[in-house]
Amino acid sequence: MTPSATPDSPPPSSPTANNENAESNLQPFFVLHKPIHKNSSRKSTQSAKTRRKIDLSTETPKSNKSKGAEQVEQIVDDHHYQQLRVEAFDIIWSKIEITIKEVLRGINRNVFNEIHQWVRESFAAIRSTAGTLNSAEFTCPYPLSIDIDYKKIFTGLVFTKNVEFVDDLLTFNDLRLHLKSQGCHVVNLSSHDFSAKSGIGGCIRSLLRQFVMVDPDVADITILASWYNEPENFDIPLVVIIDDMERCNGSVLSEFILMLSEWVIKLPVILVMGVATTIDAPRILLPAKALNYLEPCKFALGSPAERLDAVVEAVILGTNFGFDIGHKVTVFLRNYFLRQDGTVISFIKAVKIACAKHFVTEPLSFLCSGLLHEDCHGFLLQKCALLPESMREYAFSLPSCEGLDKTTPLSAESLASGISEIMKLKKNWSSIFMCLYEAAKFQKKQLVDILCEALDPDAYRTRSSLQRRVGEVLAKSPSVDHYSATKGSLILQVIRKVRDLPMKQLCQLLQIWGKHSEEIAAELHEKVKELQSLLKSEEENNGGQADVEGLSKMLATRRYMNIQRDKGKVFDKAVLLLESMIRDYLKPIECAPFHEIICFKNVDILQSALVGDPRRMIQVDLLKSHKFLLCSCCTKGGTVLLPSMHDTSIMYTLAQEHGDLINLHDWFKNFKSTIVPPCTSAKGKMRSPSSKKRKHSNEPEDLPDALVQARFCRAVIELQITGLLKMPNKRRPDYVQRVAFGL
Amino acid sequence: MDKENSGQVTKRTTRASASSTPSKNTLSNQEEFEDMDKENSPQVTKRTTRASASTTPSKNTLPNQEEFEDMDKENSPQVKKRTTRASASTTPSKNTTDYRPPSLLDNLVFREQQSIISQDELFSTFPGRKCQILELLRLFGPINSSLLPIFLYGGPSSGKTSIVLHIFKHLKRPFIYASCRTCHNPRLLFESVLNQLLLHRKDSSNAYSSAKRCDKPSDFVNMLRESLMEVINSLRVNSKKSGLKESGEQGIGGMVYIIFDNMELVRDWDKDSVIISMLFKLYDILKMPEVGLIFISNNSPDTYHLNTGSVEPIPIHFPEYTEDDLYQIFLRNQRDPKLYSSFLDVVLKDSCKITRCIDELSTYFRLLFEKYCEPLSGIGRVPNQDMKSKLYMHLKPHVTPSLNEVFRVPSCLALELKENKEKVGKKRNMRRLGDGVVPDDIDFHMSVSAKYLLISTFLASRNPATLDAALFDSAGGGDNTNRKRRRK
Repeated sequence: MTPSATPDSPPPSSPTANNENAESNLQPFFVLHKPIHKNSSRKSTQSAKTRRKIDLSTETPKSNKSKGAEQVEQIVDDHHYQQLRVEAFDIIWSKIEITIKEVLRGINRNVFNEIHQWVRESFAAIRSTAGTLNSAEFTCPYPLSIDIDYKKIFTGLVFTKNVEFVDDLLTFNDLRLHLKSQGCHVVNLSSHDFSAKSGIGGCIRSLLRQFVMVDPDVADITILASWYNEPENFDIPLVVIIDDMERCNGSVLSEFILMLSEWVIKLPVILVMGVATTIDAPRILLPAKALNYLEPCKFALGSPAERLDAVVEAVILGTNFGFDIGHKVTVFLRNYFLRQDGTVISFIKAVKIACAKHFVTEPLSFLCSGLLHEDCHGFLLQKCALLPESMREYAFSLPSCEGLDKTTPLSAESLASGISEIMKLKKNWSSIFMCLYEAAKFQKKQLVDILCEALDPDAYRTRSSLQRRVGEVLAKSPSVDHYSATKGSLILQVIRKVRDLPMKQLCQLLQIWGKHSEEIAAELHEKVKELQSLLKSEEENNGGQADVEGLSKMLATRRYMNIQRDKGKVFDKAVLLLESMIRDYLKPIECAPFHEIICFKNVDILQSALVGDPRRMIQVDLLKSHKFLLCSCCTKGGTVLLPSMHDTSIMYTLAQEHGDLINLHDWFKNFKSTIVPPCTSAKGKMRSPSSKKRKHSNEPEDLPDALVQARFCRAVIELQITGLLKMPNKRRPDYVQRVAFGL
Repeated sequence: MDKENSGQVTKRTTRASASSTPSKNTLSNQEEFEDMDKENSPQVTKRTTRASASTTPSKNTLPNQEEFEDMDKENSPQVKKRTTRASASTTPSKNTTDYRPPSLLDNLVFREQQSIISQDELFSTFPGRKCQILELLRLFGPINSSLLPIFLYGGPSSGKTSIVLHIFKHLKRPFIYASCRTCHNPRLLFESVLNQLLLHRKDSSNAYSSAKRCDKPSDFVNMLRESLMEVINSLRVNSKKSGLKESGEQGIGGMVYIIFDNMELVRDWDKDSVIISMLFKLYDILKMPEVGLIFISNNSPDTYHLNTGSVEPIPIHFPEYTEDDLYQIFLRNQRDPKLYSSFLDVVLKDSCKITRCIDELSTYFRLLFEKYCEPLSGIGRVPNQDMKSKLYMHLKPHVTPSLNEVFRVPSCLALELKENKEKVGKKRNMRRLGDGVVPDDIDFHMSVSAKYLLISTFLASRNPATLDAALFDSAGGGDNTNRKRRRK
């Protein structure tokens, strides 16, 4: 706390590049705490170390931009093409979004149907117990005296398998809609409704608000009972969904359950509770007397990894959307998912940001929308022909075109065909990837992991060279395991494991391969077919073996050995086939020319967009508020403080001159001298637009002290709210402490 | 509809018989008149003897008449009530919901014919509670006798509420029930009582509001007195009318009883002492002998710090059930009493040592009984001695684990048993591993940084508190890796 402690232990002021990188991976978690020092000036100038000044002048290194970059910027800024790109983004993203929604809904559909079935059954059970009751008993205020066995509240525990609950909000909302469409009364309660602060009244109130659509002044469950006994509501199950049980206050939730137990049968409430962790959770949260009333049933949603796989499969591998993400971005997204967030929603959000950034930064990206067309090549041709010379030049100067033949004319024709070529490549790539993934499925490998490797252009190159080598070795001595060297490569692991598959699975695998290979090339399909027939004959042999069991033992063993050998042959062939498929067709999109047009590769942009870094933005914005306000009075000021600037902005700029602690008195005096010009003769010129009151007074110089103080206080509070200041404490009543330094 | 019609018809006939031909069954009629006199006078006679006296003599002589009369006794008071209510309930707005016309009887008394239960039935429904029931019946006394406040207490699921409700079923007297659990704040409690007294129902026509807004205990007392007066008056009118015509025996009397259940919860409310003392003093405050107050609580009356100077409620303790009682309780309503009794022989003794709470035991027994019956599926259902020991051997390994479960989450055991058996084994094993070992494959997703955060929190929790400032304060202390994460 002492100010002297800080200079003694300065945080590592010049982190190595590696260090910085590692830290930036974790950024969202300590965004608010540790500034990254870009300039080492602080370290060198010991005297200035208490002056935590932010120098914005280094912020924009625009001056050293190359001519080419300027040209690109020009293209980027072109209004017409900007418009086109926005349109393309809208089209493509809406398609992707629809697909994702469909996929997510599909994942949950089975579970939802199961839950609905269970709700029906539970309701029937409740009704059968209630059969002997008459209508008066349904509304009586006293509890029905029945056996405890029938007094249970049916409770569905839905395991969400994710400690992050963001995804589940959406899921449970969908569940509500699903059950509602099936004719149940459904409400969604969140853990906020079960807080200790609002107590039992809070959740009952929320229940009533959603069921009865009234907001009574007292939360009374008898209202629900009499509402339910109205004929139009009667005889329908009441489903109460609690999003995240573990976040609820245990005592409130148990009180809620006990209260429901007094109304059991009379109010056929069926609980559905989301549980993030394990089956022990209710046991930990609730006391035994509440648990006694629960009659649980277990449901499991798909795990986040499964959802992610499904989404990735649909978006990246499935239909062609004309937008792709590169290897590095994929790896980043995967890590972001695994290490930091783990929710599919934020993954989708990240993809959306990537998509948006792609269309903003890539001048030619509007061509992507053409890929959705029926006559893709023709459309592209037409578009490319309309391109101005500069743009075409830009296209051919893309890094991926370096390998291109220099003699290729910079024509629209070649550009269009280049792009169509990418699409063809991508199509083949995804088909082969699916073949590979089907094989990997038997080994319980994650789709995303394999995807990352399959997208890696470097891995592709090493793989192909390695395979060539292995092929040579294989010709000499087929018994050696050549892949042992390639331990790290998932793809090679998968290929190797194909050999160990059981017959039945191989059969399945070949079938799927047959389906996928159909779309690629006839000869490949032929090969798969051939292998399938071979396998079939093998199987028949196998079946035959069972018949000849009566034959002499020796004969049988020999035959068995033969079969084993034959079987090995089939598997070898399958492995070879997969190898050749991967070698020939699993060519990452980043190896193709012009791929930059449809493929987003810039990890840094995505990362900074995802991290957000709100405090930094607040500081920067405060220091140059006139850039955003765009008022006429302050623009010409530059870095000089003007009284017309916004109070908070003035205050923050003044605070830059102070150290960790700011003397309130000095600060106030500075502030006052800024907004009240020292020269009294300058009358109307220095009027502050922020105080409208003053406009009416004729003489600005007698700005009352109270008003200045009020403005000062408001600005201080605003700075405190933004988290840049700590209010004075008892020990130092006349100082405020700065919290964030630097950017 | 039929019943009402017949009721009316018979009423007419009895009326006729009562006025014109009193000689027909003189004995019983006279008896009844006599009775009524007695009941109107504060003196009390034994009702049971009278009832037997009235029914026995006529039975043999006039079977037809007897039948009519019996029906009369049961039907006519109701019909009567309904008509009087229709005329008396000038209070508007209540009859708007036509599917369930409100009436005093409907709301305050158990209505259905079949729900009238005899005393013997009462005893058999609640084994082991005979002396409490007798005590309660003695305190309630015959109809129209006043009642000092009663305080029932005992552990959870020891039958307090059920017995009281059943006694009212048996006695057929008007009562009001308010549970402090459902009515989770004073206002709800007050309004719930008033609503029931005023026959008010919250529905869409009155925007689900209460009959009267009542926040303060003092308001409650005033309003309660008013509405009680009204109710008691109408009851008096009622009983006079019906009492003159029929026997007073079937009438509901002039007493109104108010039951406050789950009193222990009041102590968690704001200003609990004010409300508790108000409720316990209610008898003194109201000074209405026609009102009987019954309090039900988990805790003994000592815990309420009752102020002296007011009439202290009569405590009735519901002790824990004995083993024999439990045996009786669990045996009733069983489909196969023989099998179940052999099951109880095995399990009851041990489990009694741990808990005697019916709710807990019944959940536990339900699971165990399923296990117990497993080997029986093929064979006939009646176990002999040999079979019993066999069953016991089968059950034995399950007893202790289930006992362990029942106090943690009996529910989840049931669920797992039902849901997926193969997974259960795995889960069990994982739990067996002990709390220290985290199984490698946790079932749920957790991001890597969240795991780190958890670990660092755990580490931080092991640090002495004195180090907290040094490690985690934003400005102070050493350079720790935790610092980055944990700084405010």
